Amino acid sequence: MDIAELKAELEVLHSASFGWAMNCCRRDRAEAEEVLQTVYLKILEGKACFRGEASLKTWLFAVIRKTAIGEHRKTILRKLRWSDSAEQERTLVSPLEQPGAAFEKSETQALFQTALKSLPRRQREALHLVFYQDLSLSEAAVVMGISIGSARQHYDRGKKRLREFLGQTEIAYGTGWRGKENPGAV
Amino acid sequence: MELVGEEKRIQALFSEARLADEQTAPSFAGVWNRAQAKTTRPQRAFNLSFVAATALLVCALVSLAWWVKHSQPRSEAVIATVPQINKGGSLSVPQPGVEPVSEPGFKPAPQSHRVGRSRSLKLVAQRETLLVAANQKAARDAKAIASWQSPTATLLESPSDALLKSMPQLNQSGDELKSFLPTKPK
Repeated sequence: MDIAELKAELEVLHSASFGWAMNCCRRDRAEAEEVLQTVYLKILEGKACFRGEASLKTWLFAVIRKTAIGEHRKTILRKLRWSDSAEQERTLVSPLEQPGAAFEKSETQALFQTALKSLPRRQREALHLVFYQDLSLSEAAVVMGISIGSARQHYDRGKKRLREFLGQTEIAYGTGWRGKENPGAV
Repeated sequence: MELVGEEKRIQALFSEARLADEQTAPSFAGVWNRAQAKTTRPQRAFNLSFVAATALLVCALVSLAWWVKHSQPRSEAVIATVPQINKGGSLSVPQPGVEPVSEPGFKPAPQSHRVGRSRSLKLVAQRETLLVAANQKAARDAKAIASWQSPTATLLESPSDALLKSMPQLNQSGDELKSFLPTKPK
């Protein structure tokens, strides 16, 4: 695929990519932006090459996921290496000053995001890919680099835990949280 | 994937999050251009740790070469002081001032480099001086070893040493022979 053509495709997927990067970076906007930039850099340098084995979206999401994991690992190492002074400075900044703060201020969303953050990474990823990105479970499995069976298990468990958490916090979202099960969802 | 009940609510929460992310997402052009700028920026050809490691390696190699160069004449001198065993079995220590006899087929290499001639001559003279000193020391040591006597050698001496070490002659008288025999008590 030509780079100009690829650029046009990436532009279409940009907002979805950013959302996925946000999920991979535990909703840290700056980190998500950095990850996305690194991904574009990889594509430009040819380190990440699309061969058409999967759809562009799943391939791009897989690259974003791997890059985010790598960046997270680097951050952990950096934190271990240096003193916690920088981290303390970072924590001094109020979360309300961040760009997404206004959105996070919504009580329902805040509780929902807390519930999502409490989930294990794989479960959170599976739910995000299915509900946020409208991907099928097989596509989600490709992005996560696991089998479809495992993806289904993560999806089911994540959904169950999310339901439990939201039930505990008694979020009044619409009517009847504890609705009927959807056995044929997948 | 058909969604029912609580899944619709989860999807609604995710959709809300997606809308908020789309509003706060950075522009594609900005992120892309920054990534592109990174690719065009001349990357630093080396980092500090690489330079330090290389410098350390070079230092190690130089010191090794220096050590090899300066330890070689000593080893040659040691070889030269080792006494050579002749065909007869006697030891011969190389004498000072005696030039080593070259093999019949040996031809000295033409001295084309006149610039380094004086330096090489100095080196040869220095080496010969060392060789002479080593040979003299070896000769002294050899003499000292030849004239060495055990400090307890005198304890082994007895008055009849001369008789015991000499062979009795046939024409010697019996009286003389009897004098060797111990006198029997009568």
